[in-house]
This record gives sequence, C-alpha cells and structure tokens, in this order.
Amino acid sequence: MKTLTPAQPIVQVRELTMAYGDVDVLRGIDLDIHRGEVFALLGPNGAGKTTTVEILEGFRQRSAGEARVLGADPERGDDAWRGRIGLVLQSWRDHRRWRVAELLAHFATYYPDPRDPTELLALVDLTDQDDQQVDRLSGGQRRRLDVALGIVGRPELLFLDEPTTGFDPQARHEFHVLVERLARDEGVTVLLTTHDLVEAERLADRIAMLVGGRIRACGTPSELARRAAAQAEVRWTADDGTSHRERTEDPSRLVWELHRDADGPIAGLEVRRPTLEDTYLHMVHREDDGRDAVVDGAMDGEAQAV
Amino acid sequence: MRGTHVANKMDRADVADVSDAPGGTKQPRRPTRRYWRAGFLRGGIELRHLLRNPKEMSGHLTNVVVALLIAAYISDDVPGTDTPMAHLVLAGFAAYGLFQIGLINLPQMLVTEREEGALLRLRATPGGIPAYLVAKCLLVVVTAVGTLTLLLVTTALLVDGPLPHGPGGWLTLLWVTTLGLLAVVPLGAAIGAVLPNPREALALIMLPVMGLLITSGAMFPLTMMPGPVQQVASVFPLKWMAQGLRSALLPDAARAAEPAGSWELPMVALVLTAWAVLGFLLAIPLLRRAARRESGSRLSARHRKAAQSGALPA
Repeated sequence: MKTLTPAQPIVQVRELTMAYGDVDVLRGIDLDIHRGEVFALLGPNGAGKTTTVEILEGFRQRSAGEARVLGADPERGDDAWRGRIGLVLQSWRDHRRWRVAELLAHFATYYPDPRDPTELLALVDLTDQDDQQVDRLSGGQRRRLDVALGIVGRPELLFLDEPTTGFDPQARHEFHVLVERLARDEGVTVLLTTHDLVEAERLADRIAMLVGGRIRACGTPSELARRAAAQAEVRWTADDGTSHRERTEDPSRLVWELHRDADGPIAGLEVRRPTLEDTYLHMVHREDDGRDAVVDGAMDGEAQAV
Repeated sequence: MRGTHVANKMDRADVADVSDAPGGTKQPRRPTRRYWRAGFLRGGIELRHLLRNPKEMSGHLTNVVVALLIAAYISDDVPGTDTPMAHLVLAGFAAYGLFQIGLINLPQMLVTEREEGALLRLRATPGGIPAYLVAKCLLVVVTAVGTLTLLLVTTALLVDGPLPHGPGGWLTLLWVTTLGLLAVVPLGAAIGAVLPNPREALALIMLPVMGLLITSGAMFPLTMMPGPVQQVASVFPLKWMAQGLRSALLPDAARAAEPAGSWELPMVALVLTAWAVLGFLLAIPLLRRAARRESGSRLSARHRKAAQSGALPA
C-alpha cells in the first residue's frame, strides 16, 4: 500500500467557510472521510454541496478553515495529487467527436499506472459501444463513460457530483450498481453529492446532511434513521379545540401526563416516529422558509460530521 | 506506482512515506515526457477528427476554392507593374488563411472546448493543460501549413499561381509564415480565453476580421485605400503578413505597387514580432485565468443558459 497511514482520513475538513460577497454559502463545516467508504453529501440545491466539493477538488478557494485531501491542501494540489483523485461531473459534454475507446485509451496515457481501457469498458458496461462516437451515447452511457474516465488513473478518491440527475429509473439503477461495484470490488473511496435521500441511503456508508451551509447530521443511514426516530411527535386536540403537537424523546410519558391531567379520552391523540425522510424534508423546508434558526428536530447537537 | 516518488515530494508532513515498488527497481518515468507524448497523441487524434469532419474541412477548403475562382477570373495587372493582379490576390489569400486560423478557428475551438468541459477535464487530469497546448499548437501548425501548401500548389497547377522565386523567396515565405503564425496564434488564444460562448464568439470576431481583410491590402493594392484607412490597417498584423508573403511570392518589380515602394521587410519582421510578444503577454495570464475559473458549477450554469436560449438540449 502507498500513501496514507491507515488511521488518517482521506478527506479532512475543519471549520470550512465560504462566502461570496455578503452571502455565506458554507458556515463552518467539519468532515472526515475514511479510506474505502462511500460518503454521501446530501442536501437540497443551493445548500453548498457543489461549493464544498469544488473546494475539495481544488477548483475553488475557500474563505477560511482547513481542508486536507489525500494529505495535501487542495488549493496547492499539484499534478501528482491530481493523479490520485478522479472526477465525475454532471455537466460534462466534452470530446463529442471522439470514439469511446479512443477517448479512454487517450486519457490512460496521462497517468503513470493506468487501468486497462478494455477491462474498464467492460466494468462500466460499454464494451459494445467502444467504437461509437461519444455524442451518440445515451445520458446513462455518457455518465458511465465519465466514470471510466474518472477512474482510469486508479484514483484513491472519486468525486461523483449529482451523477444520476436526469436519469430514467433503469439508467439510475445501472449507475447505482456500478458505484456499488466500484466501492466493493475496487476499493475506491467515493464522495458522492446528491439531493436524493433514497440514492444516499442506497449507496452511502455514511451520509452528511448539508442544509443552509451547515452539516445538520452525519452518520450511517441506520444511525441517522434511529436518531430521527428518537424524538417522536405527539399530536392531540385540547378541550378548547386547539390542536397541539410536541416533540419528545419519551412519548409514553407525555401521553401518560396528558391522560393524568385530562378527564377522559384525549381527542386526536397521535404518536408518530419520524422517518429519516421526514427529518430531512423538515430541515429543507425550514431552510426554504428562510428561517435559519437552529433546527429543533432530532438532529440537534449532531452537527459534527466527525 | 511510479508516480509515488513524485507524490511523496508533496507537502505531506503528516503522511507516512511508504516505499515504492518491490525492491525499488523501477525508475520513475519523467512525467514531462509523458505529457509531451499525450500532447502529440492528442494533436494527432484531433487532426484525424478534423480530416474526417466534412463540415470543418469545407471551412478550410472554401478559402482555397474562392482564391482559385477569383484568380481565374482576374486577368488585369497590378497597376504600374506587369505582375498579374491574380498573384497579389493569391498572396493576400495565403496571408488571410493564416490570419483566419489564428484569429477565427483557434478562438472558436478554445471557446467551444471550454464550454463543453474539455478544458475542465484536462485541468483535472495530471499534465492535461500542457498536453492540450501542445496538441493545439500541433493542430494549428499542421492546418496552417497544410492549407497554405494546398493553396499554393493548386493555384500554381490550375491558374498559373505564384511560387517563390529562388531560395531567398522560399526563405522569406518560411519566416513570414512562422512569424505571422506567432503573431496571430497567441492573440487568438487570448481572444478564445475571454470570449463568452461559441455563438457570440463568431459574431464578435468576424466583423473586425472582415474589416481588416478589406483594408489590409490583401485583396487589392493598399494604395487604393484612403490614407487614414491605410494607417489604421498598418497597426494590425494582416497588412504585414500579406506584404511579407507578396515579397516572397511576387517578382521584385511588383514592389512598385507597394505604398512605400519597397517590401519593407524589416518593418514586417518588427510589427509581427511586436504582435507576437503582445499576444504571448496577453495569452498566458488570460489562459491561466480561464483554466483556473473552470469548475463544474460554472459549466452547469453555462449549460443552463445555453439550454434556455435553445442552443443546446437541456
């Protein structure tokens, strides 16, 4: 094995902030991504996902904070460092006139120890398209070619930027299978950005929810789901007809107290355990309302993605 | 694993320096050599794509065909000389061909490739940008020399077009072509780095280029133009490229039709060198800036804009 010591995270971010003029896009982000994991940065559009990733890719200068990617500051990443990361962006439409195999073989020449282009085409299931012109590929095929180009240099870290945007369900499924194969069989560390919770849950070992420039929750999908469900919501209608809702870690106690204080049955009594999706939508919704108050949901106090 | 040597030079104090390939027998291949190789391979592939693309080829061949037609229809002499007017026009077309490759084709290519994301992909690839520049230089030089040769050979064969007289003439042809390309290619690269998108780019470049084509004495003697127009045209490289090529292709007696009564070769060299220097001074920071500014979000923003204006499928 080369490079990092085992305990060293492959990506390490501390108090990362980014402001464009008066607008704060990132308000202090902490992240650790470990070797071999698939890490999803989940958030709605405009949450700062792309900004975060572009800072880590070395394409953007941060306003403040620390960032280390593969042991180097991405702002000062040189060619050797570039050779160790791979990129798949959603908006690539380049090299349209090139043929699939020709393009892949060409990009292999830039790297010291490239993968075999033929095997790689088989891995991304494009063997039948090897002689096809790039602009004749379907959206899903094009993105799989982008993945092949992203990993032809055997990167230790692969960035996937909203890779399935605009895909039909079939193409999406195929892409998910490919990412799983990369992570499982090839041991590539993946940083995936997505606004789709289902995609993040399916692919990621760990998810960080980025909303309004802050990481509001971070953990494995099941941890997050458990944490989301830890606070239940109790709804009921009081005697005067007003409806109430209250969040509590101990719904049983609240219901008992309600009954104790009431004369009889409580109208409209309901106890709900929120799903991860409820919590995510709740956070996104609050952000859309323009309220930047601390999220009162289940994820409070879990804002450290470490 | 050859890259590990290079990687270890990085600022990575917190990183364990784990040793290389077994026994460490492999010598790291110098990455610079790999990048040059990638650049040449890339240039070759782009050239092959150009040759196979009828639309783009016809763009380059149109000049040759138009020059042939005009030369075939003009029969009078350059006023005050016994040199056929057709030769002056052909020398002008030869100069314009180089001018067009540097200032229209190259910027268009750069803007298109920037917009599609090729520049960003190469920026994300080790050695991608140097290889890109090598490939583009190769492509421009081969296209320029190819179209120039085609123009001179076909006109010489079909319409009795001009060819250099003696070794001195060939030498002049060589240095004027080289210096002419050096004057327009960096400038074209600088323009390509700042122009917004391929659709607006063409409109922005075409008008001034056409103006220069008419006023630079490439198509008819400069002396037919009013004095102020001549002076303005003398600032730009096309006039001097055309004049230099005329000196290489036309008999010496034809210099009687030049505004100065001579070929002014030192001035040709001086003006073209000045443009070359200016072009390099502009191109290097502007290309750096263009490459640095590229990122995925900028690319998507441009695509959204292009899709809204109906130029690209969303």
